[in-house]
Amino acid sequence: MTRGWMLAGLRRQPGPMIGTLAAAATAATLTIAAFGVAGAHSPLPLGRLAGADVVVAADTQLQVTIGTGYSASVQTAPLQAYRGMPAQLANQLARVPGAAAATGETGFPDGTVPPGMVDLIAVKADPGVSAGTLAQRIKATLDGGAGYTIATGAARADLANPALAVEISNGHALGGVVIPMLIITALFALAATTALSVDLRRRRFALLRAIGATRGQVRRAVLAEQALLAVAGGLLGYVPGTAGGALGVGALVAHGMLPAGSSAASNPWFAVLACVINLPVCVLSALLAARRAARTSPARAMRETHTERTRPHPVRVLLGLAAGAAVIVLSALALHSNGPGAEAAMALPLLMAGMAAVALLGPVLVTAAAAIVRPLAGTGPAARLALAGIRRLPRRTASAIIPIAMAVGLTGAIAFFNTSEAHAAAAQSAQAVTASYVLDGSGLDGEVLTQARDLPGVRAAIGITAMDIGVTDPNLEFLGGEAVSAGQISQVLDLGVAGGSLSGLKPGQIAISRLEASSGVMGVHIGARITVYLPDGTPYPATVTAIYQRSLALGDLLIPASVADGHTGAPAQYSQILVSGGSQRELAALAVGHPGVRLASRAVYNAEVAQNTGQNSFGDNVILGVIGALAAVTMINTLAVSTTERRGQLRLLSRIGATTGQLASAFRLQALFITVVGIAAGGAVCAGTLIGLDRAVTGSAVPYIPAVPAALIVTGVAALTFGTIMTSFAAMSHPPARHRR
Amino acid sequence: MAAEQALNRNVVDPLTAAPVVLHGVGKRFGRGSEAVKALDGVSLSFPAGSFTAVLGVSGSGKSTLLQCAAGLEQPSSGTVRLCGVELARVSDRRRAVLRRQRVGFVFQELNLVPELTVRENIALPLRLDRKRVAWAAIEQAAARVGLRPGQLRRLPSELSGGQQQRAAIARALVIRPEVIFADEPTGALDPYTAEGVIRLLRQSAAGTTVVIVTHQPEVTRFCDRAVFLYAGRVDGFIDTPQPAAVAARLHALGERASGDDR
Repeated sequence: MTRGWMLAGLRRQPGPMIGTLAAAATAATLTIAAFGVAGAHSPLPLGRLAGADVVVAADTQLQVTIGTGYSASVQTAPLQAYRGMPAQLANQLARVPGAAAATGETGFPDGTVPPGMVDLIAVKADPGVSAGTLAQRIKATLDGGAGYTIATGAARADLANPALAVEISNGHALGGVVIPMLIITALFALAATTALSVDLRRRRFALLRAIGATRGQVRRAVLAEQALLAVAGGLLGYVPGTAGGALGVGALVAHGMLPAGSSAASNPWFAVLACVINLPVCVLSALLAARRAARTSPARAMRETHTERTRPHPVRVLLGLAAGAAVIVLSALALHSNGPGAEAAMALPLLMAGMAAVALLGPVLVTAAAAIVRPLAGTGPAARLALAGIRRLPRRTASAIIPIAMAVGLTGAIAFFNTSEAHAAAAQSAQAVTASYVLDGSGLDGEVLTQARDLPGVRAAIGITAMDIGVTDPNLEFLGGEAVSAGQISQVLDLGVAGGSLSGLKPGQIAISRLEASSGVMGVHIGARITVYLPDGTPYPATVTAIYQRSLALGDLLIPASVADGHTGAPAQYSQILVSGGSQRELAALAVGHPGVRLASRAVYNAEVAQNTGQNSFGDNVILGVIGALAAVTMINTLAVSTTERRGQLRLLSRIGATTGQLASAFRLQALFITVVGIAAGGAVCAGTLIGLDRAVTGSAVPYIPAVPAALIVTGVAALTFGTIMTSFAAMSHPPARHRR
Repeated sequence: MAAEQALNRNVVDPLTAAPVVLHGVGKRFGRGSEAVKALDGVSLSFPAGSFTAVLGVSGSGKSTLLQCAAGLEQPSSGTVRLCGVELARVSDRRRAVLRRQRVGFVFQELNLVPELTVRENIALPLRLDRKRVAWAAIEQAAARVGLRPGQLRRLPSELSGGQQQRAAIARALVIRPEVIFADEPTGALDPYTAEGVIRLLRQSAAGTTVVIVTHQPEVTRFCDRAVFLYAGRVDGFIDTPQPAAVAARLHALGERASGDDR
C-alpha cells in the first residue's frame, strides 16, 4: 500500500515533493562535484624519471615526536625539498638483483646539491623484473627502507615534484574543510525542505489515520517516499555533479591552484555515495515530521488545517538554546586561541552551530519579531492580515526564514572573512615595507644584493625569500615565513616589533609573529629556545630574539637566509630585495644589468601586494558562488512551496471580499518581514563567526565589511525573497480553471 | 417527564449488543482555567442497523461526540465501546485496525486523498488492510452510489462536491462496515444534492449502523432517530423524526444558546 500511495503522489501531484527532489538533487550535485574536485588527478611531470621503474629518495616526510613520556606522539608532514642522499648509494642500488642501472639525479634542473650528494636515485629494472619486485628488493637492501621513500608507478611523480605534491596535498586539506561545509549546507537545506514537504501534507495523513492507517503505516509511507526521493535526487545529481567537478577543477587549474592537465575524478559510485549521504538526512528529517503527523490525533490534525502549535516544542527550544550556547563558547574559544590553524578548526563548527541555533529557534524568533512589529497591524487590513498569518503560523514562517538566514550567514561569513583578511594583509604590508624601493623578479642572488648594497646613498639592502618553515604549534605544520639576509632589517621593514629587536638576525636566532608566539599556539617568549624545520626537514634550533605584530605581510617566522641556504630545494636566491636610500636611476640601471629583475617603488609594490591578496581569494569566491547558488535554490524552493501552500487561504480571502491589491500587499509585507528577520538572523550568525575568526587570524575583532558586497548580498537575498513570494502569489491569483477543488 | 423517560430508555444497559455505546463520556480541550468542556458525561447507545442523526447548535459537541465514538479522539472521561471493543483498553494500532476493518467514514471536506484516483481512494481501506483489491468489487461499490466507471479513473479535484461525497460513501461501504460515521457529510452541498447523498447513504448502508452529525433538519427525514446535544450534554431525542419538528427543536436550542450568551 505504501508504495502505491507514494508513487501515485509523486506522479500526480508532485508539488510538495518537487522541493525535496530538487534539494536532494542539489545536495547530490554538490557532493559529486566535491568528490570530483577532491579526487582530481593531477599528472605531475616525470621528466628524466620517466624511464626509471623505481625511484628512491631520502624520506620525504618529516617526522617529529611531540611531547614527552606517555603523552608523546609522532607527527608527520610532507617535506617541500629533498633531504639528499650520498651519491654512492646509486652504485649500491645498481647491484640489487634485477636492477639494470641506477643513476643519481638532482630534483631541480638547476637544483643545488652539495658535492657527493644526490636528491633522487632512478633505478631501471632488468627485462622481466617487475617494478614492484625490484622495489621490494631495494627495500630489503636498504634495511627495510626506513628513512627512505621508494616509489613506483604514479607515485614516482610525487617524488619528482615534492613542492607541487605538497601544494596539491594542501589543496586537498583545504578541500577537507570546504567540502564538508558545502555538503553540510546542502544537507541542511535538504532537511528543511523534507520536513516542510511532510508537514504540508499533515492533513492528508490525518485522513489516512482516520480511515484506519496505523501510525506505523503513515511513517513507513513517508519514509519510503522520502527514501525514493533521496535516491532519485542522488542519481539526478550525477550528470550535473560530474560537470560541476570538471568545471571546478578547470577553474582551479586556470588560477594556478592545481597543475595544468589535472582532471576531475568521475565515478558512477559517487552517485551511489551521494544517495547514501542523502538517505539518512531525508529519512531522519522526514521521520521527525512524520512522527509529529502520526502522533497527533486524527481529529485534531484534521481540525488544524491552517493553524499550528504557536508554542514550539520545549525540546526544540532547549536544543536551539544549546546550539546558541555552543556559538558563544566556540566564539570565546576562537577569541582565545590564536593562529591561522584556529581558522580551519573553528570556522565550520561555529557556522554550523549558528545555523542550527537559527533553524531550531526559528519559530521563537518569528514570534518575538512579530510581537515587536505588532503595532503595525493598525496601519491597515493588509498589515493585519500579514501579521495574523505570521503569528498563527510561526513554524511555517520560520521555514521560509531559515534558508535566508543560511544564505546571509554563510555567504557573509566567507565573503567578509576574506575581505577582513585581505584588508588586514594589505594594510599590514603597506605599514611593514618601509624600504624606498623593491627589486623583485628572478635571478636575485647574493651578487645583486651586494651590488645594491654598494650603490651610493643606499642605507640598507635586505634580501628576503618566502619559504615554508615547519613548527610545532603544538601540532606539526609548515607555516609561511621568510629567510632574511644579514643586515639592518629595521631599515627596510617595520613589522611592529612587540618584543626583542629586529635590527639583525644572526644564525641561531629567529623572529616570530605575536599571533604564533602567543599561548595556546607556540607559547614562546623572547629568549626561548625552540626548534623549527627547514623545507628539507633539517632541524634549526634557535633562540627567539624578536616578536612582531604584522604577520599577514611576511608570514609568521623570520630566519637568517644563510641558515636556509641549501635546504630549500631551490638555488640560493631572494624573492625580493628591499632597498632603503639610493637613487631610482642607479637602481634601475642595476635591474637592467640583470635580466629578469624588476624595480618598483614602495607605493607601486604595495599596490601590487594589495591587488594580489585580492586575487588570492579566488578559491573562496568559487565556494562563495556555489554556496550562494545553493542557498538561492533552497530559498526559492522553500518559499515557493510554503507560499503555494496558502492557495486555499488566498481563495477564501478573495471570496470574502479581499481585493487582489490588498492580498498582494499582505504578501509583500510578509515577504518584507521574512527578508528582514532572515537577514537579521543570518547577520547575527555571520557576526558571531567573524568576530571570533578575525581576532584569531588578523588580531582585530572588528571585521572589514565593504559596502558593495554587503549591499549585493542584502539586495540579492531581498530580490530573491520578494521575487519568489510574489511570483508564487501571481501564479496563485490566476489558478488554472480546471481544478475545482 | 417524556424527555426523562426517553433518556431512561437510552441509558446504557451493560448487556446491550449495540455496536456503538458511550458511557459517561466527557471531553475537555485545553488546561486549567482555559479548559473548554466539549462533552460532559454523555451516555448513548446506537443500536445495530439504526440510522441516527446527532444535531445541535454550533459548539454543542456533535463532532467531538462522533470523534470520541469513532476512536479518532480520546475521551477525557467515560468509556466508549465500538463494535464490542472498549476503545480505551486497546492500543492505538488496534483502534486503527478496527476502523479500517469494521468502520466507515464520511467527512464534510478533505474526504479523499487528492493524489489518488477515485478508484484508488475507494480501495484505500482495503489496501491499508493489505487485502487483495478486486477492482470489480470497487466498481460495484461505486455503482451503488451512482458513480460511472469513467469517473473512477479521475482525480478527486476533477469531480463535483456531490460526486466527491458519493466516492467517500463508496469508500465507507467497500469494507461492508458494521458502523458508518458521517461528520456533516452534506454540509458543503446544496439541499438537492444533499438529499440525494443522504438517500443514497440510507439505501446503500441498509443494515449498517449509521451515525450522522448534522445541523440540517432535512437530513433527519431519512433517520430512525434524532439525538440533540446542548453544551456537551444529551438534550433529548425524537424517534422517526420529521424535519419540521427537528427544525423547531433546533430553533429552540438556538434561542437558548443566544440567551446563555447574553
